[in-house]
Amino acid sequence: MVFRQKIFWRFLHQRNRVTLRQVSTASVVGEKVIAHISSKLTVQQALNQWAECFQVTGVSEPNLSSQHIIAHVLGHKTLNSLSKRGLTQVLSQPQVERIWKLCHKRLTRMPVQYVIEEWDFRDITLKMKPPVFIPRPETEELVSLVLADMEQRGGASRYPDTVDFLEVGCGSGAISLSLLQSQKQIRGMAIDQSAEAVALTRENAQSLGLHDRLTVSQVDVIKDADWLVKSCSRVGVLVSNPPYLFTEDLDSLAPEIQRYEDRAALDGGEQGMLVIDQILTLAPRLVTENG
Amino acid sequence: MTLHRKCFSWIPKCLLTRVSGTCRVHCAQRLYHRNVGLYTRQQNNRHETYSLSKFGHIGLRAFHGSQSLLLSKILSVEEIFSKPLMQEYLKKVEDEYDVCLKSLNTTDGERYNEEELSQKRTRVSVLTSLMQQIRDLKLKQKEFEETEALLKDNDPELRELAEMEREACLTAIEDMRQTILSLLVPAEESDMSDLVLEVTAGVGGQEAMLFTAEMFDMYQSYAAFQGWGFDILEYSPSELGGLRHGSASISGPLSYKKMKFEAGVHRVQRVPKTEKQGRVHTSTMTVAVLPQPTEITLTIQPKDLRIETKRASGAGGQHVNTTDSAVRIVHIPTGVVAECQQERSQLKNKETAMKVLRAKLYSMKLEEETSRRYQTRKLQIGTKGRSEKIRTYNFSQDRITDHRIGKTVHDVRGFLLGEDLLDDMSLSLQQFSEQETLLEVLGDNGS
Repeated sequence: MVFRQKIFWRFLHQRNRVTLRQVSTASVVGEKVIAHISSKLTVQQALNQWAECFQVTGVSEPNLSSQHIIAHVLGHKTLNSLSKRGLTQVLSQPQVERIWKLCHKRLTRMPVQYVIEEWDFRDITLKMKPPVFIPRPETEELVSLVLADMEQRGGASRYPDTVDFLEVGCGSGAISLSLLQSQKQIRGMAIDQSAEAVALTRENAQSLGLHDRLTVSQVDVIKDADWLVKSCSRVGVLVSNPPYLFTEDLDSLAPEIQRYEDRAALDGGEQGMLVIDQILTLAPRLVTENG
Repeated sequence: MTLHRKCFSWIPKCLLTRVSGTCRVHCAQRLYHRNVGLYTRQQNNRHETYSLSKFGHIGLRAFHGSQSLLLSKILSVEEIFSKPLMQEYLKKVEDEYDVCLKSLNTTDGERYNEEELSQKRTRVSVLTSLMQQIRDLKLKQKEFEETEALLKDNDPELRELAEMEREACLTAIEDMRQTILSLLVPAEESDMSDLVLEVTAGVGGQEAMLFTAEMFDMYQSYAAFQGWGFDILEYSPSELGGLRHGSASISGPLSYKKMKFEAGVHRVQRVPKTEKQGRVHTSTMTVAVLPQPTEITLTIQPKDLRIETKRASGAGGQHVNTTDSAVRIVHIPTGVVAECQQERSQLKNKETAMKVLRAKLYSMKLEEETSRRYQTRKLQIGTKGRSEKIRTYNFSQDRITDHRIGKTVHDVRGFLLGEDLLDDMSLSLQQFSEQETLLEVLGDNGS
C-alpha cells in the first residue's frame, strides 16, 4: 500500500511538471496525497491524468472511474452530455479541488457509486451510501420481468389500501422504487435487516416522491419471521435480490466490494441459500393464491 | 401555398428527344417560369445560380439500363403536358381505368379469378382521383377555349370579363396539372418515418472532427427550426472540442423525407483552426441517415439477437461491482451490430442500442427494395449514397455546392445555422428526386 502511494506520489509530481505550470503546495496527509494545483487545467487534461493515475495504482476500470467522477463534478451524469466545447473548458479551482478529493477516495478502492454518492437504476437516480449494497445491472432485468408479470395480471389490486408487493432485502430501494415509478397505482412494502438500508430506502423514496406508496421496515427475515407474517397482509408479488454468495467466496471478491459493501448483503451462507431458503419457506404464508 | 405547387414547377426537357433514345442538352432553357415565381420569390434574395454547363456535362454521362438523363431543373408545367409522351401516358392511364372498370362491372368479371379482380379493384381506387383530375382538366380546358372565343367579341366590357375568366382558367389549369403530376409520382412508404442520424469524421484529423461537430450542431438547429425532436444517442468528442462520431434520433413529421438526401460525404475547404501557416485544407465528414421503422414495419425475433454486456465473461451479479454499462447487440442472421454506452443505466443503453439496430436493419431492408429503382439516379440513398461526395463547403470563396443537382448557394455561415438556407437546399433536392421518379414512371410506361 505504501509502495503504491510512493509510486503515485512520484507519478503525480512528474505529470505536474510536464503538464502544469505551477504546483504551489503538495502535502501528504496520512494515506492521502493532496496536491493543490493553481494553474489552468482543462477537463481533458484532468481526465487523462486521473485515468493514468488509476491505471498505475491498479484501480479497476481506470478510464470509466475518471470519466464518471469528473462528469459528476461538472454536474452531468456522463461526459457524453457535455457540449462540443465541453472537453476543452477550463476547470475552476473549486471544481479541481472537488475532483481531486473524490478521486483520492477512489484511490482507496471505494466504488465509484459511493464516491459520487449516486447511481442510476433503470429510469431513476438513487443515492448511494456505504455500506448499503449497490444495485447491480442484472437486477434491472429482474424488475423488467416483474413488471411484465404484473401487466399480465392486470396491474394494481382493486383495493387502494392493500399492499401489492413485498420486497425482501431492499438495500437502497432500487427494486421497490423502480416498480413504483413504472406502475403508478401500486403500493409496496420493503424490508431489510440493516438499519442503514432502511434509512437509505426511506431517503430515496422521499426524494423521488414515492414515500407515500412505500412502507419500509427493519425486519430480519430469518429472526423475525413470525412478526413479518403477522404484520404483512398477503401480497400478489414477492420480489427479492437476496444475498446468494457462498461464504467461502467472500474473501476473493474485489477490494471495492470487500472493503465497502455490507458483508451481510452478500453472504448467503455455505451454500449461498440461507436467505433464499428462508424466503421460500415463508412465501406460502406471504403470497396470495394467485401470486 | 400547397406543397405540390412548390415542387412541380419544372420539366425535364429531355422528354423532347426521349423517343429517339438519346438526350441532348438544350442551351436555351427557361429558368424561371411565371408560375415558379411563386416558389422562387423567397429565393430571389439568395444568390443562387444553376450551373448549367456543369450539369450538361454530367447529363451526358451514360447510365446503364434506364435512359433517364437529368439536366438542371426546367420549370414549366405547360411544356410537360404538351409533350406527346405525357399525353400518351395519360391516355394509357385512362384506357387502363376504363378497362378495369368495365371488367369489374360487367359479367365479364367472371372470367377473371379472385386475385385478378382484387388487383383491378385496387388499381381502380388508385386511379380514381387521378381520373377525376384529368376530367376536370379537360373541362377547364374547354372552358378556356370558350373564353378565348369571347375575347374576340366587340363589346369591351365582355372582353374585360373574358380576360379575367381567362386568367382564372389558366391558373386553375396550372393547379390541376400540378395535382396530376403529384399524383403520378408514387409516395414512398418510408417518407413518413422518423430517422437516426449518424455523423462521422472522415479524412483530415482534428480539423475533420471540428467540422463534424459544426455539422452536428447545424442539424440540431435544423431539427429545432422544423419543430422536430432531437435526442442525442451518442456523442464522442475529441480533444479540441470536435466530434469523432455522433448519432441522434430525429422524430417529427416528414423528417426522413427532408433529411434523406443529406447522407453522403460532405467536404470542407478552409483554413483550419489548427493551421499555423494559413494554408487551405480539405477535410471530409460522412453523414448517414437511417429511417426508423415502426413496430409493424419491422419485427425482430428476440432469438436472433445476441446481447453483450461487460459481464458476459466470468461471474457477474453480486460478485462484481462495475460502472461499465455499455451494451452491444448483434443481430445474428445479418451480422449487424449496434452499441451504446451513453447512459449509466444498462437498461437505457439497451433500449437505445435496439433503436439503432432497428434503424440499421430497416435501412438495409429498404435498400433491397429500392435499389433497383434508385440504381440510375443521381440522388442516392442508403449505403451506395454513403460514399459519394455530395457537397462541398468552401469557406474562402463563401459558397456551398451540391454536386448532385449542381446547385450553389452562398453564405456558408448562414447555411451552417441550419435554417432557411438548408431548408431551401433540402427542398430543391426533394424536387429533383421527384423529377427523377416521374421520369422513371413515364419511362417505364412510355418506351
